[in-house]
Amino acid sequence: MKKTVTIGSEEKGDCLVSVSERKGLEIEITATVPDLVERGIRAVVERTARTLGLKTGGIAVEDKGALDHILSARVEAAVREMFPSVTAWRPTVEWQQSARDRLRRTRLYAPGNNSRLLAGIELHGADCVLLDLEDSVPVAEKLSARILIKHLLAKIVFPEVWVRINPLSTYGSADLDEVMLGQPHGICLPKAESAGDVQALAQLLSRLEGEMGIEKGRTFIMPIIETGKGVLHAEEIAAADPRVVIIAFGAEDYTRDVGARRTRDALLFPRSRLVAASAAARIQASDTVYADIDDEDGLAEETRHIRDLGFVGKGAINPRQIRAIHEAFSPSGEEIAHATKIIAAAEEAAARGIGAIAIGGKMIDQPVLERARRTLRIAAEVKEEWQ
Amino acid sequence: MKNALGREIPEKIGGRTVRPYQGAFATVPGGNKASRPQKTTTLGENKVLGSLSAAIEATGLKSGMTISFHHSFRDGDCLVNMVLDECARMGIGDLRLFPTALFPVHEPVIEHIKSGVVSRIEGSMNGPIGAFVSQGGKLKEPATLRSHGDRWRAVEAGEVEIDVAFIAASQADAYGNANGIRGKTPCGPISFCAVDAQYARQTVVVTSELASYPAYPFEIQQGWTDYVVVVDEIGDPDSIASGTLQLTRSPTRLKIARLAAAAVKASGYLEDGFSFQGGAGGISLAATRFVGEEMARAGIVGGFGMGGGTKLLVDILHRGLLRTILDGQAFDTDAIDSLREDANHVIMDPGHYANYDSRGCSTYMLDAAFLGATEVDLDFNVNVNTHSDGLLLHGIGGHQDVASGAKMTMITIPTLRGRIPVIVDRVTTVTSPGEVIDAIVTERGISVNPKRDDLKERFIDAGLPVRKLSDIKSEADRLIQPPRRPVFGDEVIALIEWRDGTVIDVVRRVEGWE
Repeated sequence: MKKTVTIGSEEKGDCLVSVSERKGLEIEITATVPDLVERGIRAVVERTARTLGLKTGGIAVEDKGALDHILSARVEAAVREMFPSVTAWRPTVEWQQSARDRLRRTRLYAPGNNSRLLAGIELHGADCVLLDLEDSVPVAEKLSARILIKHLLAKIVFPEVWVRINPLSTYGSADLDEVMLGQPHGICLPKAESAGDVQALAQLLSRLEGEMGIEKGRTFIMPIIETGKGVLHAEEIAAADPRVVIIAFGAEDYTRDVGARRTRDALLFPRSRLVAASAAARIQASDTVYADIDDEDGLAEETRHIRDLGFVGKGAINPRQIRAIHEAFSPSGEEIAHATKIIAAAEEAAARGIGAIAIGGKMIDQPVLERARRTLRIAAEVKEEWQ
Repeated sequence: MKNALGREIPEKIGGRTVRPYQGAFATVPGGNKASRPQKTTTLGENKVLGSLSAAIEATGLKSGMTISFHHSFRDGDCLVNMVLDECARMGIGDLRLFPTALFPVHEPVIEHIKSGVVSRIEGSMNGPIGAFVSQGGKLKEPATLRSHGDRWRAVEAGEVEIDVAFIAASQADAYGNANGIRGKTPCGPISFCAVDAQYARQTVVVTSELASYPAYPFEIQQGWTDYVVVVDEIGDPDSIASGTLQLTRSPTRLKIARLAAAAVKASGYLEDGFSFQGGAGGISLAATRFVGEEMARAGIVGGFGMGGGTKLLVDILHRGLLRTILDGQAFDTDAIDSLREDANHVIMDPGHYANYDSRGCSTYMLDAAFLGATEVDLDFNVNVNTHSDGLLLHGIGGHQDVASGAKMTMITIPTLRGRIPVIVDRVTTVTSPGEVIDAIVTERGISVNPKRDDLKERFIDAGLPVRKLSDIKSEADRLIQPPRRPVFGDEVIALIEWRDGTVIDVVRRVEGWE
């Protein structure tokens, strides 16, 4: 057995928690303004130890301003790494169903073990937040990141929240065991290359949902397609399981995989293929992230481009990118006026029992009507956004 | 006795009879302004003395007297420590220190308090000195904290009599004209102490660059100055002004700043001639930048901006989005350069800016202001002086002056600092009363003072996330265990004056914890 396990960091908004063997339960706290916060920190640590059934052990906390759920997550991670027989905390979660076809203009990535970047991640107006366990989390931190994400999911109310797990061939299954306790709306599967990859995940989800006694099939899947093989199999991936409501494109891994440079031309084929595959399966497609967070004009330009290709959303790696992406996906005044006209004409036609609708001599068919409805729906949601 | 905010205030403190706060604009001043002894400088007389000690001797400075300083050299100031060391060496003690503000660089003042060289302080104490004084029993009388405008007012009113004003200047001439924007180590305007120079019994200008006559602009005038002393170093350029202040990268802070700028846009004040004040805090700076963007988008030209001056404000001026900057202090080198080079960047003293007992303040001409806080409460009262642990750590600055003047005062704050809540049931100390605060802007939404239903309606129409302050508070509070509250004893550490000279609150010694 290890002598001491230390989890967390000295970054603002985090804490360092060290756990070691002791005869009784000993808690030791250091903080910058101990008079103010020590009692509260102790209460959280004691509560966490109690829920984990920990009777003996030394817990030392060096606080840097961690919120309660972050502190609690750090304690659980350190205790479980030190004493592997301790079982995971199972939170009670207030579940709110998310719609299959909700607005998903932005999926905001947040590194799963960085409490500073996770603080307030739900407040930036992203349509969905994506808590990452894969690329942004070093192997040694996977356990503490999973636990942190679980605590975050249990505490914070998100409009829609996803967890990107590791591929099932590496740590994906262990990721799921932990984070599903927090009941995210969906799971992102990186490097999806076949229907089989998606179905394997769907089976694991069904088993976990069964064990947890929650409705089977309610956890969505977002396959991320980011290899040549994945792009070629986009059609079967998109249609692999009813849980799949959206597919996402990852350009960095894709260009590396096929040996391309990241140019608009090189990405046109995979992008178009993803959009077609999503349309065939009646689901959504979301584009890759834009890496230069300081280049707002470049981001806006690329977003307009992929919107025109048929994507309904784009990844964001920093909250600062949300504004530009939402702006590009927001219908213009002209588009809204046109859509309003179409809907009005359709309603009038329906009221008079006429099947065919025409505006200015142009026939309005079903896809046009659907597009108009979608435009107005986005416009209505955008109206609520001051940003 | 209790003042109008229900704060318990002693009737007498030291030799002073306390006037309780009665309302933001309740006081009507009477009587005449104070004055100083008449004097004439004869033809050909030399004002330059060879050393600080010679100047101290010439002024006749004695134990028990009051000496004053300004803070424009900020954390790079050399003069306060030099003068106090000299006084200690000359056996002068029991001094009352009347600085505009003290900074961490002035930590040696603590030793001078312990040894009795300094026995009273009236002025802002940023950092270690505030923490030291908060322990209680350190000073003969409680400290008095005044806003920029109130300090000026108190001197003019004769409430503080200065024996010797020591004025640090980056450039001066031998006749006593002095400024802070030229010379080897410029610091920005030094006009904060123009009132000291005019009302002190004696005025000593201390500079590291003696220029040929005339040194200008005449922030400090020859007609006010008794003596001039030249020293090797008056300020450490690395600590006077920052290089270029970095815009915050914190998504939370940026969000607050964006929301504040969106509120300005929605307020109806964003028209030609629009005026605003932003400070040098991270959120304020970002808000200044975003307001500049809104001005450009709206195609308007603002009337004036107030700082302290920063590169961000200067950029807005130089892009033609603003006609004027009125500047009492400069926070970075770009602002200092601009003061020298741009006639539309104007030096302004606190009398012009903020004096309650005057025939007009620039703050009264402001449309919008973004200010910070250590705490706010559900009555919209703001604390900038103490932290939740009760320690006296910050000065008032221009908070009261700007908050009471601007048509729309926004407090831009995060709801939590680490695990310490910023929105509380009752602020530890009231610096600015809720009646002068219009909105509180946080990362969780914006809350409008019930007296400003007009603004609230405009914000809601613009789709801004308007919320009750208590709702924002509970949303933040559920993320943390409540911190312990300090228990205060009777001993008063400091008086917080309202800008009219009444006492809005006192800071008492922390004796324990709830």
